[in-house]
Amino acid sequence: MSPSHSLELKVEYPSEAMAEVVRAALAVDDELQPDKVKRDMYVEGNILSINFKANEARYLRASFSAFMDVLVLATRTIEEFGPAYKLAAV
Amino acid sequence: MLALGIEGSANKIGVGIVRLDGSILANPRHTYITPPGQGFLPRETAIHHQQHILPIVQAALKEAGVTPDQIDCLCYTRGPGMGAPLQAGAVVVRILSLLWKKPIVAVNHCVAHIEMGRVVTGAVDPVVLYVSGGNTQVIAYSEGKYRIFGETIDIAVGNCLDRFARVLKISNDPSPGYNIEQIAKKGNKFIELPYVVKGMDVSFSGILSFIEAVAVQQLETNEFTDADLCFSLQETVFAMLVEITERAMAHCDKKDVLVVGGVGCNIRLQDMMRIMCSERGGNLYATDDRYCVDNGAMIAYTGLLAFANGVTTPLEEATFTQRFRTDDVHAVWREKKSLPLKENGVVNPGIN
Repeated sequence: MSPSHSLELKVEYPSEAMAEVVRAALAVDDELQPDKVKRDMYVEGNILSINFKANEARYLRASFSAFMDVLVLATRTIEEFGPAYKLAAV
Repeated sequence: MLALGIEGSANKIGVGIVRLDGSILANPRHTYITPPGQGFLPRETAIHHQQHILPIVQAALKEAGVTPDQIDCLCYTRGPGMGAPLQAGAVVVRILSLLWKKPIVAVNHCVAHIEMGRVVTGAVDPVVLYVSGGNTQVIAYSEGKYRIFGETIDIAVGNCLDRFARVLKISNDPSPGYNIEQIAKKGNKFIELPYVVKGMDVSFSGILSFIEAVAVQQLETNEFTDADLCFSLQETVFAMLVEITERAMAHCDKKDVLVVGGVGCNIRLQDMMRIMCSERGGNLYATDDRYCVDNGAMIAYTGLLAFANGVTTPLEEATFTQRFRTDDVHAVWREKKSLPLKENGVVNPGIN
């Protein structure tokens, strides 16, 4: 597969530890169609970066949309039950 | 020991907090109810769960009066169920596990129904009929696992009832099955429907097709009423379930029956099953909708049984799966000889 579409999402957390919590929790679930969409996550400082690659835009869109739902849920869980902090897109 | 459990495999999202003795400190839940004529779809159901799960976790902690540091393990439904709704529970449990530094226990939804039914009713070693919107199985414990003796070969009995309710535009509030049960009480004309038992297994899709194709036309010509059809459907499918349950009892030489799952709170099903049990010299064990219908406490309790026997799920393995057979689970807690289960004050000499 030579992916022709890609998307990079960066989310700022109040600390590296919290960014790592989200990365570790969401890395457990593989992409539903790993042959069509590749997802990589890494933490640099307090920034969680997620990179999506796919060779068709519709797969990229579906994968990204589903991921955003769980990313928001994970982040809201930290807001409610972890140390207080704010979320901002870079 | 205390466990918090999250259930979200179908259209209910629930959080339970329980002790190892089975006492339930809190068990709030929220149901995604669709308009009449419509079922619940994975994406919409997942969005419902994502919106409601955190307030329900808060409510459970408040009602139980416990703080996170008092909780010993965090349990969630690994499967079976719909993928996206399952993921909501799994993601929240993973985050809480990392925030609170508590171990995770992944739980099989079907086994959780059985253990909840056993602890609530005190049934020791029954044949279990597990009937819900997604599952229809006759189960008995043998040598470390809950074995499936019979099951549906197509759709679940609850799915048949739910889809029948959509055909007649019966309300989904509080549940289609409950409303069918109430309407059926006014029916008195029995309409012959296909009766499909194949050995130990049952089939419901043909009954549904028959109703969609034939019965609906006859309804329009006033040959019978909605109530007659609800009544006849219940009598037919419940008789099929009683038949395969009785056959399983004869095979594994057990006298008692435990009915669990959402359809299990149907009083007519319980009455029919009770007659069969009494004729065989046994008892029926059943619960009401608080425990029968999907809830967080059943997940918390079953997870805690496993945790107390040394089972935990590493974060990397805290996945969810749409398919997860009842007999894939090693029921380690049932092998413990040091914890004999009692019936009427007498230690059960059976195969526990």
